[in-house]
Amino acid sequence: MSRQWSCVDRREFVSGILAVSAAIPLLAYATPSRRQKAHVVIVGGGYGGVTTAKHLKRYNPNLDVVLIEERPFFMSCPMSNHFLAGLMELTQLCFSYNVLETKHGVKVINDKVLGIELDKKAVRTSSGYISYDYLVLSPGIDYDIEDKPYYKESIVRNPPAFKPGSEHIYLKRLIEEFEGGDILITVPQPPYRCPAAPYERAALIASMIKRNKLKAHMYFVDANERPLINSEGFMSAYYDLYRDVATYITSAQIRDIDVQKRVVRTSHGDFKYDLANIIPPMRANRIVKEAGLLKKGQRWVEVNPLTFESQVKNVFVIGDAAQSYLPKSGYAAHSEGKLVAKIIDARIKGKEVKEEYLQMICYAMVSDKEAIMTETAFRYDAVSKRFMPTHREDNQRKESTAKRYEEWARGLWRDLFG
Amino acid sequence: MPNGGPPPTEDKKLFNFYWFGLFMSEVDPKIFKEVQDMNRRGFIKVCGTMAVASMVDPSLFSHVLAQQQDGMFQAYKKALLVKADGTPLKEGDIKPHVNYIFFYPHTATPCYLINLDESVPPAEVKLRDGKSYRWMGGIGSKKSIVAYSAICAHQWSYPTPQYSFINYYPPHKPSDTTKKAGIIQCCAHLALYDPKQGGSIIDGPADFPLASVVLQEEGGLLYAVGVLGKDQFQQFFDNYRTELRQQYGSTAKARELVDKCTVAEVDKYVQAVVMC
Repeated sequence: MSRQWSCVDRREFVSGILAVSAAIPLLAYATPSRRQKAHVVIVGGGYGGVTTAKHLKRYNPNLDVVLIEERPFFMSCPMSNHFLAGLMELTQLCFSYNVLETKHGVKVINDKVLGIELDKKAVRTSSGYISYDYLVLSPGIDYDIEDKPYYKESIVRNPPAFKPGSEHIYLKRLIEEFEGGDILITVPQPPYRCPAAPYERAALIASMIKRNKLKAHMYFVDANERPLINSEGFMSAYYDLYRDVATYITSAQIRDIDVQKRVVRTSHGDFKYDLANIIPPMRANRIVKEAGLLKKGQRWVEVNPLTFESQVKNVFVIGDAAQSYLPKSGYAAHSEGKLVAKIIDARIKGKEVKEEYLQMICYAMVSDKEAIMTETAFRYDAVSKRFMPTHREDNQRKESTAKRYEEWARGLWRDLFG
Repeated sequence: MPNGGPPPTEDKKLFNFYWFGLFMSEVDPKIFKEVQDMNRRGFIKVCGTMAVASMVDPSLFSHVLAQQQDGMFQAYKKALLVKADGTPLKEGDIKPHVNYIFFYPHTATPCYLINLDESVPPAEVKLRDGKSYRWMGGIGSKKSIVAYSAICAHQWSYPTPQYSFINYYPPHKPSDTTKKAGIIQCCAHLALYDPKQGGSIIDGPADFPLASVVLQEEGGLLYAVGVLGKDQFQQFFDNYRTELRQQYGSTAKARELVDKCTVAEVDKYVQAVVMC
């Protein structure tokens, strides 16, 4: 030992010390030892997670509810197209998690989840383990681009803006700097986050071309045959309002993206662009895969359709990460969060809960001032033992619907952060 | 005073004094038995409520008593309903199926007054947790006049001078979206309430029925005397601090309890009545 030490000269010794010193924080990060305990741990501070946390505390103020979210602030994805189109300020979309702590008693941990150990009933973060009795995973989406490398470079240059935050801010800047040329917007095949969002975004960008009298044309390249939702309303708006500034190409699959030449190659030809919003396919956030909740080839977590419980007892998956009859949207996540909060509260109290109603409402702007909407109510059918949908669409574009849209969002935000 | 909690002592005294002076009906001995089981504070609180209930309808006495204990009825200042010119509102002034607005019990808390043009009997209003409370039905010669808080029990939309998303849909004007008529519907998230059933939830995402305003007719004059059901005043004042400061100057002013309510047609108060 001493010989080994003697072989190390002073310089090597000092550099070794420095290396060890540098490694200590990393080791601490990798092997957190601090342990906490909570009745309910919620991973993800989006619509689903915040709703679950707040409603759990509402039902049972004595519960220890921990919400873990990596981002320091909440930013709403619903209404973010308003922000991109200059119809709403970013500040209106952003909320602090503080109110959940100070007013409702939820413990909010601003940290990254490093892993979920289902067998130990613990969530590992950079600051330690948090064990739970009940776990709610509402981690949202990741872009599904592992086997499509051309998306990787595209995402950096052409922000998809389907994860709230810097993507939106950068895309907004690109839109503001755009002075003319070809705009390209692409839509992936479902399921993806917020089915109406790409169609709304296309309408608002086309509207911007007209409003600003830009020498521009928009190519709206859709992997689907038609808009996935409010098809009639979107199609009539595109035709009535934007046919001179936009071309809608359907059933076109992306084959390659050349970010240097600014070309997207599709099954329906190549499209050059000066400004692009290329929306990649999506899958559940990596956390659920790493936790072992995805089977091979699955992109979304299978859940019990009545309870949103995964195959692991008392582990619930809600929001966009779940494979559900509800579309992937903030409002659906909110509905699911309320349901799961009721179920967990009831289980803790030794009761059964029978939720008989779930709702999804989706609004979409088709111009700066007009919107269309759709509502699907899911009612529990005792015979078939499943939720049966009643679907309603209002495809007539109206200014009053646009006002309802704003109130719809503000109501949600009041419920989350009020 | 924390909003939604008991009214200030001074108000309560005024209230009780007034009603004890008019309290003439026979009291069911069973109720005295219940009262004996209560502490003094509870007794005083119940007496105030008893008096109100007996004036509305003596048979409602025990129901209101029970509700008071469950916190479902909250007495506030007795407030006279008046027209825009300040003269008292009479039953005949309330046109059938027209949606009227007034503010009660606070300066800023909006309520709807509707003449449903048919006798509306008392009803049991069920809550999602299985509990229920008794709503007294309509008042007036036809028992057709009802009043509700206009703050949606779902996510607190309410009529502002600019917009009203929550509105009454008369029988001849059903909702384009839900095709239902004779309802109160909020267009933001499609919460539907039944004005003939004490504001019960018909459909939609609301967790609570619409709170009702307890009205009383006395010598041809109409009064609001309290709120029945789960009011949303606390959430209202919490969520709309900025808006209320802008409209009323301060939240304290917005919270002031009223003793007189000016009644107006909704479309005269609201710029855009949003029906859906």
